[in-house]
Amino acid sequence: MRSERAPVTAYDDRPYTRGGAVDRSDVGALVQSAVDGDTAAWKALVEGLSPLVWSVVRSHRLSDADGSEVYQTVWFRFAQHLGRIREPDKAGSWLAITARNECLKVIKSLRRLTPTDDPQLLDRASEDRTPEESVLDSEEAAAQSERVRFLWQEFEALGDRCRQLLRVLIASPPPSYQEVSAALGIAVGSIGPMRQRCLRRLRARLDARGAL
Amino acid sequence: MDDNGHGNDDGHGNGNDDGISVEGAFDDEEFDLGSLEEELRQAAAILDPVPAELRRSAVEAYALHDLDARIAELTFDSLTDAIPVRGAGDVARMLTFHTGDLTVDVEVTEDGLMGQLLPPQSASIEVLHGPRAGAALTADAMGRFACDTLPGGPFALRLRTGAEVVVTEWLRA
Repeated sequence: MRSERAPVTAYDDRPYTRGGAVDRSDVGALVQSAVDGDTAAWKALVEGLSPLVWSVVRSHRLSDADGSEVYQTVWFRFAQHLGRIREPDKAGSWLAITARNECLKVIKSLRRLTPTDDPQLLDRASEDRTPEESVLDSEEAAAQSERVRFLWQEFEALGDRCRQLLRVLIASPPPSYQEVSAALGIAVGSIGPMRQRCLRRLRARLDARGAL
Repeated sequence: MDDNGHGNDDGHGNGNDDGISVEGAFDDEEFDLGSLEEELRQAAAILDPVPAELRRSAVEAYALHDLDARIAELTFDSLTDAIPVRGAGDVARMLTFHTGDLTVDVEVTEDGLMGQLLPPQSASIEVLHGPRAGAALTADAMGRFACDTLPGGPFALRLRTGAEVVVTEWLRA
């Protein structure tokens, strides 16, 4: 097994994961400190768990506007319920399940308003560039960014179930399987096998393209 | 302690298990899939990160933490609890919040909010959209209140009835 520090790509020095990440075993203590008025503890919770909330939102393919509102609703409600959450150490699962429920509500309301497919739900990744993408463009790491985009394109082209599962799994720091289960309403036991199958499928797509 | 949920899976080889070595055969494929997952994680962090302004709003949401207020829980939402009316264009969203003996019924339409407190009573009400102060409303002696602007995005109602403060659960309108 690769050691913790082994570099995989040039992006390893980015603060996307371990740096400042919340150890899941600390979550309960952080929630308690936040209840007691510790702003830094709240910030650490946001740092460590907001990528999970965002991943859940993204995995449900909401538009940017709807996704932002769901994300905010989830955090507002978490702040509101802080101190009343029954299992503080499972705050990640609480956030994940709340995000999932709000996502499903959005999807339901869109369906009710527009009987046909909502264009907002369609894939927009290929047309729209995030600011980060634009930054990448201007950077010299053209080959590296090409590789990242390649990988992302193939990921986006996976079937719905795989794309949804992987989008939650690849939050940084990596969510626990309990959190993934809460986020997607699937049994913890089926996550491992599904993950394998989906990654294998992605690997096959990449190989077919002769990339990576 | 919480092992991050990966401890007993099939050797989650993405280097996040703090160096816990997997006994038995080195699984080439799992190693490959693990690094693919890690690479995908990095791609997500680059191409689809949490937008900075959202992260900020989550940090600011700490101000919404209020132990003195009672939470009125959402007990009915027509969006999920009612049978959908197909073909009906503009259906009002009906919400019911509950705490102790107080019930707050809210109807959200294109034109704004209409509400009813039960048992009927007067109250001062604030429509919250986030940590900052929101529009002030009054429920009359019959417990009725109205607001002619539609809350865009998440909202909550903060009600002051006599000595008590009640806040409805945050919800996306």
